[in-house]
Amino acid sequence: MKGYLGIDIGSISTKGVVIDGENNILAKEYLWTEGDPMGAVKRLLKVLEKQLAEDVRIVAVGTTGSARKLIGVMTNACVVKNEITAHAIGTTTVHPDVNTIFEIGGQDSKIIIIENGFVVDYAMNTLCAAGTGSFLSSQAHRLGVSVEDFGEIALASKKPTNIAARCTVFAESDLVHKAQIGHKKEDIIAGLCKAVVTNYLNNIGKGKKIRAPIVFQGGVSKNIGVKKAFEDAVGSEVIVDENGHLMGAFGVAVLAKRSGKEKPFSFETADIEFKTRGFECGKCANHCEIICVYKEDELIDSWGNKCDNGAVKASN
Amino acid sequence: MKIGIPRALLYYKNEKFWPTFFDEIGVDYIISPETDRKIIECGANLAIDETCLPTKIFLGHVDWLIDKCDYIFVPRVGYRFGYETCTKFQAQTDLVANTFRGKKPKLLFYNIDDKKAYRERKAVYKMGKFLKIKRSQIKYAYIMAKQAQMFFELFRRQKEEARLSESKKLKILLVAHAYNIADKYIGKPIIKAVKALGCEPIIAEYFDESECIRASQSVTATMPWAYNRHLVGAIELHKDEVDGIVLLTTFPCGTDSMVNDLIVRTYKSVPIITLTVDTQDGTAGMETRLESFVDILTLRQENK
Amino acid sequence: MNNEIVACFPQFANYAYAFKYLFEKGFGVKYLLPPPITKRTMELGSENSPDYVCSPFKYCLGCHIEALELGTNCLAQILGPCRLNYYGELSERILRDMGYEFQYFNMAAINWHSRKSIIENFKIINPDLSIVRLLSALPTSLAIIKMLDKFENYVRHNIGFEAENGEFDRTYKEFLQKLADIESGKQLKALKKEYWQKLNSIKLNKPTKTIKVGMIGDYYTVQEPFANYFMEKELAKYGMEIYRTMTFTNSIIHRRGKESIRIAKKYTKYDIGATSNSTVAEAITFARAGCSGIIQVKSFGCTPETDAMPILQNVSRDLNIPILYFSFDSQTSETGVKTRLEAFYDMVEARSGK
Repeated sequence: MKGYLGIDIGSISTKGVVIDGENNILAKEYLWTEGDPMGAVKRLLKVLEKQLAEDVRIVAVGTTGSARKLIGVMTNACVVKNEITAHAIGTTTVHPDVNTIFEIGGQDSKIIIIENGFVVDYAMNTLCAAGTGSFLSSQAHRLGVSVEDFGEIALASKKPTNIAARCTVFAESDLVHKAQIGHKKEDIIAGLCKAVVTNYLNNIGKGKKIRAPIVFQGGVSKNIGVKKAFEDAVGSEVIVDENGHLMGAFGVAVLAKRSGKEKPFSFETADIEFKTRGFECGKCANHCEIICVYKEDELIDSWGNKCDNGAVKASN
Repeated sequence: MKIGIPRALLYYKNEKFWPTFFDEIGVDYIISPETDRKIIECGANLAIDETCLPTKIFLGHVDWLIDKCDYIFVPRVGYRFGYETCTKFQAQTDLVANTFRGKKPKLLFYNIDDKKAYRERKAVYKMGKFLKIKRSQIKYAYIMAKQAQMFFELFRRQKEEARLSESKKLKILLVAHAYNIADKYIGKPIIKAVKALGCEPIIAEYFDESECIRASQSVTATMPWAYNRHLVGAIELHKDEVDGIVLLTTFPCGTDSMVNDLIVRTYKSVPIITLTVDTQDGTAGMETRLESFVDILTLRQENK
Repeated sequence: MNNEIVACFPQFANYAYAFKYLFEKGFGVKYLLPPPITKRTMELGSENSPDYVCSPFKYCLGCHIEALELGTNCLAQILGPCRLNYYGELSERILRDMGYEFQYFNMAAINWHSRKSIIENFKIINPDLSIVRLLSALPTSLAIIKMLDKFENYVRHNIGFEAENGEFDRTYKEFLQKLADIESGKQLKALKKEYWQKLNSIKLNKPTKTIKVGMIGDYYTVQEPFANYFMEKELAKYGMEIYRTMTFTNSIIHRRGKESIRIAKKYTKYDIGATSNSTVAEAITFARAGCSGIIQVKSFGCTPETDAMPILQNVSRDLNIPILYFSFDSQTSETGVKTRLEAFYDMVEARSGK
């Protein structure tokens, strides 16, 4: 049986999905990137391989996420796509009638507006990490609760505290301040969830036509406190599905399948040694950071140069 | 018929002028309340994220007024004393019309789009005509309103000058636009904090506008903005009478971003501190910064 | 020619060639073609500028520092309807505080209604100014600007479809090199003819129906490629046809102020300051002309362009055209820009296929 592998490598987490020709998920995994995308993908491949039946043969790979290009080279991918398109394709495959996608991940968040299955508008946060997953987990740490319990605790609150969450630094000082003047922990946590939502809607949701059905994805979608805060803010139901956090990987697997291309792939990639070397090109004042990818000490690709002066050619 | 006046931005330059004018022509009006948390949040929701805080506050005030009156008074003032104001004042009317398009608010236009001084009178007549007021009545109301504003500013200035010469406390010159210094959310907490630290706050904005603008000409040849010239001139005139200067600005103010740099480069003999207020809630950090600033001023005075 | 004076405007698209002609032939001084903007320019500018000032100021300041390092001794700065009007005075102040010595020609300091003021200021560039010579060089300088805009417009429309990769860039580079050595209006005409032909003879694989995108934004960011992360080139890589109305020709030589206000009338009652009206008018024009999408690029905190955004959102809704908003500061990540552009391409491609 033919299988299609989709990998989504974010700065915080790495996601992998294998689907069959009917878009059924055959294997899935979610793990931490730990600052080493190549290592994470190797671990990912090992886990996925174990979940798959003997007869599944991967014929095409798609990659997305911030390290998509690097992992694309490493896995000999047919499709290397940005995460916005990947998420949109993944979601519309599962929910064909979706009109709005909220996504809050570890370090970024996005909104995608869809009409009749087509992306018509989108936005991504660009400036700072306030209100994203890493922000929530650092605040949870500060309050001495685990981020997994965050949502449940938030639901217990009757009167969420107002928290200024426009910027991580300000939010932290505000949090300390609010705790000192005696706000309850659940109210503060519910306040944080609300702040994440307000921040999101004010920042990237501004001016966007938000219409139901709305699907909420990304790591933070597992936080039911944030989901509820979204529902209160937009006044309609917000769908979170079980595989919401894998939607990027799923979408790019679907794209790899649709591309019709097939390129050899083997799980043995996990055992081959890949290395990247970054260096600063000194040929002009731009000082481009050039990244070279080596497969067992052989240069297979490079990028990062703004002009031809900095081009590093693969030996073949 | 009822006019709604947003208590924000240029209202603080015309506190007595506009209400007196509407009183004299016999048109009912309502002024939005002082800025509160709700107004700020509402404004922040409506505005593009990058918009400056005073404009966000302004939109919040417009929203507060929108169901409570027939016309909203949204002035557009491009020039003052032959200088520019800021492009945000040029855009104000259309910004409101486009932001609130869904609610179809009726706007009362008041447009000063020329460097020439008589333009204000023209704008007032045009507005009066639109409200179906007799010319003679407009003329009378305009004179009364002008006078009311003039005396208000005169008394305010005299009080400020008196405090400047008589107070024995450390004197801190607060440099901020009219709509910032008078706002309950931006300037008032700072004034309070300065007082709480045992200092005398002197408001740069309260000194005479034309005198200050004239004084600013020796400091800067090409600064295009009237309101900033007013503040720079106030510093130039009174720098030797104060112990410290606080530049209170809002994020991201276009004109202040450049002018404050010039001020810091020009006045090296007086300690200066810049405080930037963002949409976030938290004057706590500001108080600490002010406190350490006052400590520095006290030490300086003891060493003299 | 007075060889001791070397003048320089900050780097701004390719217009330096026109300034070079004007300064060398008109003012009779040397002109330095400013080095292209690099990361170093931006770093130099940011280090010495106030924090929250708009990024074009930082680019201009960085560029002037680099020009001083290269031996320029007469800096020049233009004027404009926004913060740009104050660039000159503040950057002169900063550079003097840094200890540099130079002449400063600030166009914002000129009283344009007074002939005396104009001449006095022009004499900053060259004390032995000859008005006759200056006036005789002016038409050719303007012709260079118009030619640059005409050529670049053609490149913009077609570079995404060149049959052989890099052909346009190569030809254009060659053209610019020759342009630097132009001595007279006559030579210019010949050069124009030659390269207009060369550009037109570059082989294209252009389908009859292309995906068109319109570029709008603040005066500097939309025109200077480094400031917008070479966005036009990136878009061309996806095979898109790029439209941009904001050029030197369309803003300074042929002022389109009234026309812009007329087109934008449905959305704006008044002139809303600086480039905002033309931004809105261009968006409307692009939408009506069949563009599949519009991209607005601006420096972070640019007040007039920010004020234009709620209006653009209404235009986007009414005319059913997606508008992508970019706001650049010195820390914008290049990868983030590329990701969003890629998604933009996917989106407009899907829409135009509908």
